[in-house]
Amino acid sequence: MLDFIRDPSIYNLVRGPFVWIAFLVFIGMSIYKVRRLYLMAMNEKVVLPSIKGKAAGRSILHWIIPFGSRNWRLRWPITITTFVFHIGLVFTPIFLLSHNVLWYESWGISWWSLPESVADIMTLLVIITCIVFFLRRIFAAEVRFVTTGDDLLILAISFLPFLTGFLAYHQWVLPHKTMVILHMLFGQIMLIAIPFTRLAHMFYFFMTRAFMGSQTAGWGGKDW
Amino acid sequence: MAVKEKKQKILSREFPEYIRDPNPDVGLDESIKDLKPEQIEKTIMAVLGPQTARIRAVMETCIHCGLCAEACQWYLSSDKDPTFAPVAKMRMTAWEMLKRKGKVDAEFIKQTARIVFTECNICHRCSMYCPYGLDITFIIGLVRRICFVLGVVPQRMMDQDHSHATALNQVWFTQNDWVDTMQWQEEEVGAEFKNLRIPIDKEGAEVIWYPLGGEPKTNTYHIERTAKIMHAAGIDWTVAGRDTWDTSNMPMFLRDFTTMNRVVRGLYDNAARLRVKKMVLTE
Repeated sequence: MLDFIRDPSIYNLVRGPFVWIAFLVFIGMSIYKVRRLYLMAMNEKVVLPSIKGKAAGRSILHWIIPFGSRNWRLRWPITITTFVFHIGLVFTPIFLLSHNVLWYESWGISWWSLPESVADIMTLLVIITCIVFFLRRIFAAEVRFVTTGDDLLILAISFLPFLTGFLAYHQWVLPHKTMVILHMLFGQIMLIAIPFTRLAHMFYFFMTRAFMGSQTAGWGGKDW
Repeated sequence: MAVKEKKQKILSREFPEYIRDPNPDVGLDESIKDLKPEQIEKTIMAVLGPQTARIRAVMETCIHCGLCAEACQWYLSSDKDPTFAPVAKMRMTAWEMLKRKGKVDAEFIKQTARIVFTECNICHRCSMYCPYGLDITFIIGLVRRICFVLGVVPQRMMDQDHSHATALNQVWFTQNDWVDTMQWQEEEVGAEFKNLRIPIDKEGAEVIWYPLGGEPKTNTYHIERTAKIMHAAGIDWTVAGRDTWDTSNMPMFLRDFTTMNRVVRGLYDNAARLRVKKMVLTE
């Protein structure tokens, strides 16, 4: 059924122009989205003057460190899950040896890469934590009540590149080349999806935290 | 023997999980009868339609993780009923309105008003528990504004707002009542303290004191005691002679911006007019 995907022309397409499109859309749209929210905040007049640099920085710092805020300490299973997930999600693709090789082959640049066994474990952890998130969406009542279709969609978008990458590395289920092509496609879908879906919390996190950190500092409190 | 009456529960058409005990309120039950669909749509789109930065930041960031639930006293005190979680309140009100582009009926507005007015204290605690620090309270406040503009507000809250709009205090006090109460309290304290005055509109005083609406109306001894404290501490103080003396800004809880603005402006106007250095408020 998946014979067509083994066609070398598809590989060339996925390895060439699709990568360009994905990265350009991801970077361009991300800059556009952040800039647009910033300009809108400027139009709202009350938002930007309330930002206090120190309070904003402290709020971001406390929430980006595991167990750094009250809610992270109260909900420690979630905290462990979410930090393992996000660290794996962000750092594995950047420091994976195979990805580094691709950068080196294309542009002759390379940087520090993770040992293969560590990257393998991190990928597995991302897959497991994704499943934990999925089960939480189904079984935790307060999460199930607010779960919509696109929550499951963005979970799948971040789950599939890691699943296919893991299977491709171990050469399981499908032939290696087919799996790699699927992996690259899903990776590109994820990159493109980031600015267009609520995966945009990747950069909105810093803006909303800065706002609320400053607000609570203005009331003489703290939000961590 | 009294037979325990089987209580009729309030159910929601949209959300089967939402089950509540009946809470009849004229402000909610009667005021929805005159609402027209186009009126509702227009109001919702006027408030939520121009998606400003603060609305967008919430809509485009909230990952529906439910971590705000533990912050809410309503959620904690209702056996962790998921429909009391802050994110659930947003989902049942603002998200649903935006999803349907404002095309909701009067019954939905009544349910919305019940959620935002009687099941949320707009205390901002959820923002402190949200990993992104999203301003959930701001969204609930906007929904309150929609309900207020449509006139669907619990009767007592609407009455306080009307009182503020009319008399600039929440207890329907006229300026005469206010000045008279101050002079009466001055007389009362005079028996205990020599030379104790409650200065009204004293220009150049150091401190202007603003009570809450209830103090001159029902708890006049508060005024007497404040006067004693000020006198004993030797503070050069005054109270406002105009009818802008009440700091309890009830219109704020309805997001009645016009009246809310008038109340706060009145307090600052007094301070500027009398050239006082500090404003002291009761809380």
